[in-house]
Amino acid sequence: MIAVLELFLRLAAWLLLAPLLPGIINRVKSWVAGRRGPPVLQLYYDLARLWRKGIVLSTAVSPAHIAGPALAWVALVGAALLLPVGQAGATLSFRGDALLFVYLLAFARFCLALAALDTGSAFAGMGVAREVSYAVLAEAAIITALLTLCVQSNSVSLVTMLAPSAGAGAALLAAGLFGVLLAENCRVPFDDPNTHLELTMIHEAMVLDHSGPPLAAILHGAALKLLLFAVLLTEAVLPLGKLSLLPALAALAGSVLLVAVIAGLVESLMARLAFRRVPLLLTTAFVLCVFALLVAWKGGMP
Amino acid sequence: MTPGGLLGIAGIGLTAGILGAFKAPRLWLAATLTGAAAAFAAAVWALATGPVWDWQPGFVIGGEALHLRLDGLSAFFLLLLSVLGGAGTLYAAEYWADRDHPVSAPSARAWWNGLLLSMGGVLLCANGLHFLIGWEIFTVCAYFLITTERQRPAARAAGWLYLAASHVAMVCLFAFFALLAARTGGWELGPMGDRPGLAPLFWLALVGFGLKAGLFPLHIWLPSAHANAPSHVSAILSGMAIKLGIYGLVRFTGWLPVPDSAGWVVALLGVVSAVLGVAFALGQHDLKRLLAYHSVENIGIILIGLGFAMIAAAQGQAAWGRLALAGALLHIWNHGLFKALLFLGAGSVVHATGTREMSRLGGLWRALPWTASLFALAATAIAGLPPLNGFVSEWLVYLGLFDAVSAHGTAAYAAIPAAVALGLTGALALACFVKVCGVVFLGLPRTPISRHVHECGWRMRLPMLGLGAACVAIGLAPVLFWPALVSAADAWQPGWVDDASSTPLATLGSFHLALAGLVILAAVLLWRRVKQNGIRRAGTWDCGYAAPAPRMQYTAGSFAGIITGWFDWILRPVRHAHLPKDNFPARADFAEHTPETVLERVIEPAGSLVQRLSLAVRRLQDGRVQAYILYLLLGLAALAILAVMGGPR
Amino acid sequence: MSGAMNLLIGLAMGFSLVALASSRLPSVIRAAAFQGMILGVLPLLLEAKFHWLVVAVAIGTITVKGFVIPSLLRRALRAANIDREVEPLLGFVPSLLLGAAATVGAAALATVLPLRPEHARSLLVPGAFATVVCGFILLIARTKAISQVCGYLMLENGIYLFGLLLINSTPLLVEAGILLDLTVAVFVIGIIVDRIQREFDTLDTRKLNSLRE
Repeated sequence: MIAVLELFLRLAAWLLLAPLLPGIINRVKSWVAGRRGPPVLQLYYDLARLWRKGIVLSTAVSPAHIAGPALAWVALVGAALLLPVGQAGATLSFRGDALLFVYLLAFARFCLALAALDTGSAFAGMGVAREVSYAVLAEAAIITALLTLCVQSNSVSLVTMLAPSAGAGAALLAAGLFGVLLAENCRVPFDDPNTHLELTMIHEAMVLDHSGPPLAAILHGAALKLLLFAVLLTEAVLPLGKLSLLPALAALAGSVLLVAVIAGLVESLMARLAFRRVPLLLTTAFVLCVFALLVAWKGGMP
Repeated sequence: MTPGGLLGIAGIGLTAGILGAFKAPRLWLAATLTGAAAAFAAAVWALATGPVWDWQPGFVIGGEALHLRLDGLSAFFLLLLSVLGGAGTLYAAEYWADRDHPVSAPSARAWWNGLLLSMGGVLLCANGLHFLIGWEIFTVCAYFLITTERQRPAARAAGWLYLAASHVAMVCLFAFFALLAARTGGWELGPMGDRPGLAPLFWLALVGFGLKAGLFPLHIWLPSAHANAPSHVSAILSGMAIKLGIYGLVRFTGWLPVPDSAGWVVALLGVVSAVLGVAFALGQHDLKRLLAYHSVENIGIILIGLGFAMIAAAQGQAAWGRLALAGALLHIWNHGLFKALLFLGAGSVVHATGTREMSRLGGLWRALPWTASLFALAATAIAGLPPLNGFVSEWLVYLGLFDAVSAHGTAAYAAIPAAVALGLTGALALACFVKVCGVVFLGLPRTPISRHVHECGWRMRLPMLGLGAACVAIGLAPVLFWPALVSAADAWQPGWVDDASSTPLATLGSFHLALAGLVILAAVLLWRRVKQNGIRRAGTWDCGYAAPAPRMQYTAGSFAGIITGWFDWILRPVRHAHLPKDNFPARADFAEHTPETVLERVIEPAGSLVQRLSLAVRRLQDGRVQAYILYLLLGLAALAILAVMGGPR
Repeated sequence: MSGAMNLLIGLAMGFSLVALASSRLPSVIRAAAFQGMILGVLPLLLEAKFHWLVVAVAIGTITVKGFVIPSLLRRALRAANIDREVEPLLGFVPSLLLGAAATVGAAALATVLPLRPEHARSLLVPGAFATVVCGFILLIARTKAISQVCGYLMLENGIYLFGLLLINSTPLLVEAGILLDLTVAVFVIGIIVDRIQREFDTLDTRKLNSLRE
């Protein structure tokens, strides 16, 4: 009974807190630009509105157009259950769950990509092609990051991998994972979530033809994914394992907030990159993770 | 019933099928399916109960006594063979029916049974000579199946290429078995781990079996053969025939000692095959050619697992080696299942539309709902995504690699790049199958051909459903299949792989089960919500473009353009472009074709060099007696010089 | 002490990769300059006790590598009035990956070499190797004369790192000599750049092919 209750509490925390992050990022952006900006809770209002709205379906679409967002959302929630929260551990933890985590994110990408291609829109094709191509480089970086954590902790389970700090390579790993975070969540400088020019979109071009509840599922999933990456980044870098339950949670919350603020600052201060420069930046993130791995390997040598 | 009896029934059924192939297709169907079912039962029996079935009846074939043996490893492959054989048989009954192919259908049925019989024979033979005979019959049967549509030049060319490559492999295998027989004093095969002198023979086996398996630089025959064969043949070629190459490698690395560097080389070949296989696949526009390159990729994944298992065996590191081995073995099954399903699905598309060119298709889900959904299922599996079977085996290989890394040994230097390459491969395969599913089944029809098509009948649908169910079953309950892995692995390295408790496979399975349930639940709930809120239908919005046309959709080439750009250095695509000029361009076009680089840039130039040299040498023979006498004299002089030079030793 | 040193060397290695990944000439120049300045600080950390000669050499190195040479290069750039895009023979991503591979390889090489125990955990040797190789990659994979100069600068930085290994046995004067050579070389190249520009209207060194007869 308690286990079920705990599961629901965790789920509720993940699902309810996720839409907060994009709100914070937008708040930071408007603060830097000297505007008042939308309320922090704007995404909650948007989601509620979309959930009640009717839907316009293209005559071309198959059932995958509706099923895709649902599948992707479930996969992301599944990934959230695998990720430990500070000292409280994860809902489900076993050897090799780190890889399941990565592949659940990939599954979500697969479903969204197919749902987007379903409309037969040229822009959707463009967005999907970019999304899946750049994800290849991001995947290499994230596997390298996992290898780094594995070398440090001698484990393939997220709970033990994320408990100790990243040691000397922490800064490198943080920079590399931050790059992956920005790329995977389609933020500046890889993509511009607020762009109005379809030719330069990645993620937004994929969801142009979605509306109503499926769009709500996509938006909530995207916010959840951002939160997942922020938590992963924080726990990979900070030695939360040394703190006790509540201070660890507080530190986690504070650092996730900090990540959101930094993402907002990056978004305010940088322009988005030309597409031909994106692979270079992602390769840089990968190289940073490789160096973090190298440092961890050297540190682990007897 | 003993496995001997079951295998006897299988043999009789398949032979009866050959007899019935020409006059009585129904008899052929019944006999072949019975044979496959009997073989399936025998394989399950051997995997479940454990003891090795060994049969030496005392017949002599070719001067050697017949010796059949069914151990865990043979049974492991035999199970896959019987499943794919049965599925392909039922599929062929509709796909390649007498009605559509009056000339080729009967002989295709006969060769099909011959192929199944000879592949089964190869798996059972415990005698090197008989192994070679079986191997050769299997090669020839496959040749006739690839050239089923002999009237098409492409099919003939593919057949020739296949035959040539197979015979290069055959030469290596002949040398391998002959040397083995010479050194051991007999053709009898069995564990010979105590004779370190046999280790160098491994390289011969690697080339011979590697050519058949289609690992990267040796894969030249594979794409055209798989693309031009009828789809049920492509399915068994890709699902089973290339696995026989893997069978040979697994079998003889288990039985014979191997050189120290063998594991490293196999792992390296695996990494190269995996990454480049999928890169080439992304460059293809032909649906079946693309699937064929994915076979190269998956063989690569299997070889990564096998290579690391060999490294672990050499270093005595059972802890992570068995995970890599289990992953490799399970991936053999998994790839057989989902790749056969993909080829059967592709066959259904070709059957309905008559083209393999992806950019002429589109929006097929409406006409082919079963094919589309089963193809999507197999695509999810081959991209290695949870909760399906492809992920389970890739996950086992990953676990092996990660454990090798955390063991901090020398193997870690190879395991780190291999793990990254495996991640790259997974992401690239995902991109490739998003492309295939999106371009072929989703969106709008790009040309009129895909508008008037019909779904396949139940005899084509049933095998696909069966294979799809197997993919789901291995994904959701992997722990059920662990005993089979254990008994196959026992034949490779006894006692290495033990009960499933060493891996959290049960936990993974229950997670997958929950995920699958929730996924369906969420899709249903979302659909109900959408219906409740009300649906309006309209054309695709596409940012308000006034007159969207189907030809504006992204094509296979434009979709993969970003990634193929990264691999230009090896893909070497041929591009023909007339770019638009001026303000009112009259006409512009762009065509891109990715050739088989290794074949066209390496093998063919080398071949023509040999040909030119041979032509030059042929001038020596001009029919004049005087010239021949001159050659004699020169030859004698050369001998004399040699004798003088080497004389005073 | 060795922690701070390793941090600085690591930063210097990072700047070689930045130079490989930069697509504009000013940022390549800036990366090489930063690298030179960071390396210039190192002797101060390496010497246990304060010595006026060391301080003088450090200040000299920082001034020359961080300010004099970059400003010369920038002047050449302005004078030649060329397009500021680096024209790579080998793309930025492959160059970056090669540089990273070189760095990893250098680290692996350093564990194999029979080093003295006080250098075993220091980044001096891997840093030196990596910087030299990155300098070579920059020299080989770029076409413009200015990026070639930056390649030479990085090469020199690598040699300088090797020199630091021997700081106790060889006087810093050797380093000063190398630096002088380099400054002269930069002057010469500056003049050559000017001449190439007048002759060919570009700084593409591939055009020098036409002078072979």
